[in-house]
Amino acid sequence: MRETFTRWRYQYWPHHLLGETLSKRWTETAIPVIVLLIVGFVLSRTIDNFLSPTNLADTARQASEIGFIGLGEALVVIVGGIDLSVGSMFALTDFCALYTLNVLNWPVPAAAAATIVCGAALGAINGFLIGYLKLRAFITTLITLIIYRSAFDLLIQRYSNQIAAAFPDFPSWNFLGGGDALGVPSVAIAYLAVAIFGHLFLTRLRPGWHITAIGGSRRSAYNSGVPVRRMIALSYVACGALTAIGALFFAARLGTVGGDIGVGLEVIVLTATVLGGITLGGGKGSVTKSAVGVLIVLLITNGLTTMNARGGINRMALASILLVAAVIDIRWLKNRTRIISKVYVAPTYHYLPPPPPTEVGMGGPFEQNDRLREVDLIGLGRIEAPEDVILDRNDNLYAGSRHGDVIRFLAPDYQQMEIFAHIGGQPLGMAFDRNDNLYICIGGMGLYRIAPNGDVEKATDETNRSMTSVNDDSRLRLADDLDITDGGLVFFSEATIRYEMDEWPIDGLEARGNGRIICYDTNTGKTHTALRGLKFPNGVCVASDGQSILFAETFGCSVKRYWFEGPKKGAIEVVMDNLPGYPDNINLASDGNYWLALVGMRSPVLDLAWRMPGFRTRMAKRLPVDEWLFPNLNTGCVVKFNERGEILESLWDFKGANHPMITSMREHRGFLYLGGIANNRIGRYRLDGADPSFVQYDRRWGRA
Amino acid sequence: MGAGVIAAGWEFANRLLGRGDATIAVPPLDGALKPNQMLEQATPLFECAAPEDLATDGARLFLADGPRLLAIQGGAATEVRVFEQPISALACMPGSGLAVALGGREVRIYANLADPAPRATFATGFSAVNALSPTREGMLFSTDGSTTRGVHEWASDLMELGRTGRVYRLDPADGTAKVMANGLHYVFGACAFGEGALVSESWRHRLIFIGRDGATRIVLPHLPVYPSRISPAAAGGYWLTAFVARTLLIEFVLREPAFRERMMAEIDPQYWIAPRLSSGASFKEPLQGGHIKTMGMLKPWAPPRSYGLIIRLDPQGLPLYSLHSRVDGSNHGVVAAVEFGDDLIVIAKGPGRVLALSLASLEKEFGA
Repeated sequence: MRETFTRWRYQYWPHHLLGETLSKRWTETAIPVIVLLIVGFVLSRTIDNFLSPTNLADTARQASEIGFIGLGEALVVIVGGIDLSVGSMFALTDFCALYTLNVLNWPVPAAAAATIVCGAALGAINGFLIGYLKLRAFITTLITLIIYRSAFDLLIQRYSNQIAAAFPDFPSWNFLGGGDALGVPSVAIAYLAVAIFGHLFLTRLRPGWHITAIGGSRRSAYNSGVPVRRMIALSYVACGALTAIGALFFAARLGTVGGDIGVGLEVIVLTATVLGGITLGGGKGSVTKSAVGVLIVLLITNGLTTMNARGGINRMALASILLVAAVIDIRWLKNRTRIISKVYVAPTYHYLPPPPPTEVGMGGPFEQNDRLREVDLIGLGRIEAPEDVILDRNDNLYAGSRHGDVIRFLAPDYQQMEIFAHIGGQPLGMAFDRNDNLYICIGGMGLYRIAPNGDVEKATDETNRSMTSVNDDSRLRLADDLDITDGGLVFFSEATIRYEMDEWPIDGLEARGNGRIICYDTNTGKTHTALRGLKFPNGVCVASDGQSILFAETFGCSVKRYWFEGPKKGAIEVVMDNLPGYPDNINLASDGNYWLALVGMRSPVLDLAWRMPGFRTRMAKRLPVDEWLFPNLNTGCVVKFNERGEILESLWDFKGANHPMITSMREHRGFLYLGGIANNRIGRYRLDGADPSFVQYDRRWGRA
Repeated sequence: MGAGVIAAGWEFANRLLGRGDATIAVPPLDGALKPNQMLEQATPLFECAAPEDLATDGARLFLADGPRLLAIQGGAATEVRVFEQPISALACMPGSGLAVALGGREVRIYANLADPAPRATFATGFSAVNALSPTREGMLFSTDGSTTRGVHEWASDLMELGRTGRVYRLDPADGTAKVMANGLHYVFGACAFGEGALVSESWRHRLIFIGRDGATRIVLPHLPVYPSRISPAAAGGYWLTAFVARTLLIEFVLREPAFRERMMAEIDPQYWIAPRLSSGASFKEPLQGGHIKTMGMLKPWAPPRSYGLIIRLDPQGLPLYSLHSRVDGSNHGVVAAVEFGDDLIVIAKGPGRVLALSLASLEKEFGA
């Protein structure tokens, strides 16, 4: 009863999506966006006319003005600094705009240019002190905050009357202050343009990358040749200029130089920056985050003002938000990888009936024996991790190694060993095509092709992206085994789309259908996903009918058949299930039946744990991988089965002494060659009564 | 009421986050417990079906092998007597007396081995008497591991978080059995220590002192293994055996009641996630990540499903050095180690082997 509930729960609730979503970079932007939507929704419910065009336009004007400053602050924070003087710079540049326009009577373009230059100059002072003299950003901008504010106070004492007396009336000035195009305020259009440029700048242009790199690691950036001092100084200059642009629009809108202009602005802007998700430590941030942060802060402060909250409460709210956001930011940054690694592993319910007996004396096709103890060893201690073995028409033996090589042992005695080709990733399944090209699955890389002369060529490393997967499943993570049809289709298995090659045990712990069968068409060069949702698909073999493939699902403990053409095209059928071990590669036998490697054997405790996903989830969180309950891969066997899925015989190495693990086997001229991914040897076993002339690829493609 | 709710809340949070009692940690084998292969390289004397305990009075050395009582002389064993039940513990008494525990349920004291009838018999509610040790006053300490499980069902007792262990003092003079302490988390092994007994409280991975008045004191906590029988060393101090070792997986399973319940109900005990005296016989045994044979080799540092360990303690009960048979070895499940002559005689119960280590070579190796 309880187990039924567990089964349903894990069948219908996508536990694995949480970790996949969290590991996406966009979640860090998504969270502030959600906060913004919530704040917007709540305010629209509590405040009348919140969504009226006038109100929205008014909000947009204010937001854009602060938005400019926010962009500047974002830049400085991303580069690894902070600018507390934005409020004072805002006041000074506001004064500059009105002074040049009202007192000096400069034309509007000249006044605007002067304002921006003034802002840039103020920023340049910060930039010089922090970038070149390497003063601390915090203390430096705190000092310039005071200096700029004092300068402003002195200036307005002298000029405020003159400024207030003049009423400039230029259409262009009025357009800056209150104009709009198609109902969108001028300032918002300007902000949008700058923001789009800023986004491109940060994500696509070299200086933007430099800024992010410096914030991420100043020393590494320096060592990589980034002009660290100059970039830092320029960021402060840009911050000053952007602040000046904001002040320009503010001046055009209100035209005042009151003493409290820009007071406390740095808190608003900093809150917006942190709230948007731009990390105070530097190196991370985007324009979107800045914009979202500004909007949230502005909506909250305006909302509080509309609800007649007093100034003190308003400030208090802002400060509290800043505190909370900073705490979340720092905790998240510190724990992000840890949290993701804890929630990413999502075991699911997996039921297997009790397995058939294997013990000596219990009978049945799986009864243990010692036939494989007598195998000869090839390349003992000289080869590492030969997952698959294959023989060509000239009797030479090929195997992969964990050094990323394909090794060739030369016939007839297999003593001489040479590197046939170097690929770089772990070679797994192999198959020869009609022209003696060796197709080979490389874990972590994809499907490769080696010509008879040893030239390596990539066949494919991507397939179609599926719409429902959060993880990007277009790249191949763990191509595993393959076979080639008469029509030139290469069917290969990809064991999992959630983990890398070295993390395969985690996939076994999850026991979810994370794998798929992919088809690469040698005629067109196109790749598509044929089947998905398989439990660690592994061995693939084209069946004798030429219309279907047999494939093994390792953690599903089953072998299935998939028709790729003919009357049953597209159908899947179970050939064998509830095997006592974990099936791996499948290959043709000389008598027309199939060899199947069982890479490991089932243990009752793991079978039980597979039915208790919560237990495995906690195990994954609490224990290191070396302590996890694993599938037993120290003992395996080779079995022969026929088209109907009946086991004909089994070959065991009881103690696992001579050949501990078997991931693949290949029959050739009366011998069976054995590979194992954790082995340092290749086994060779004499088959009694097997066809001594059998060469798999002669029979497969016809003798050349 | 309120405090109870808060405590339950904390416990829930701890379970959720793996903190407090839910913390899974096993101390590393380091310091005095730094691994070596001394025990693995010990000289094997002979193998027998079910070696269980050793006892010596200095002149003779006895071995319990199932129901058989053997005397070891010059590296070979001769049968002395056969009892009707398997012997679960053995001790030599002053004079030529011998105490045996049979099937964990009965303790008999023979004044002389040839006597057909025992001098005293104790059979008051014992369930799993697994160790006997003489006191300085001519009495006998006896540890009864569990009241609910028999002497061979210790793995079940561990999986049930058993806490019903008792320590007795048996007086052969008047035939009384006095409970010195109860409610212990499985006791396995005792030895006279000061005015009382040094006792192995296995499931709590520690040695405790139990005074004559029943007062207890922790002597050696936080062992990375489950301690078992203790015997005195001639040079002062003690030999402590550890019959099985802790692993993180077992610690984790001990905090998973639902899984344990189903495992015990559905699975053959030899395939449980539980410590064992020997391992690697069947692929149906649970396998952990560190156990995968890579390049044809089982790593000695893999999590120990079974392990061999003897710890030499100083007179205060603190470890001086240790003798190991690591995961890739076979001399596992050490249940008894006693000094006899110039040798330390050891039972590795896992492979059913009796081993000898020369004390002189140990002195040379460890300078102790």
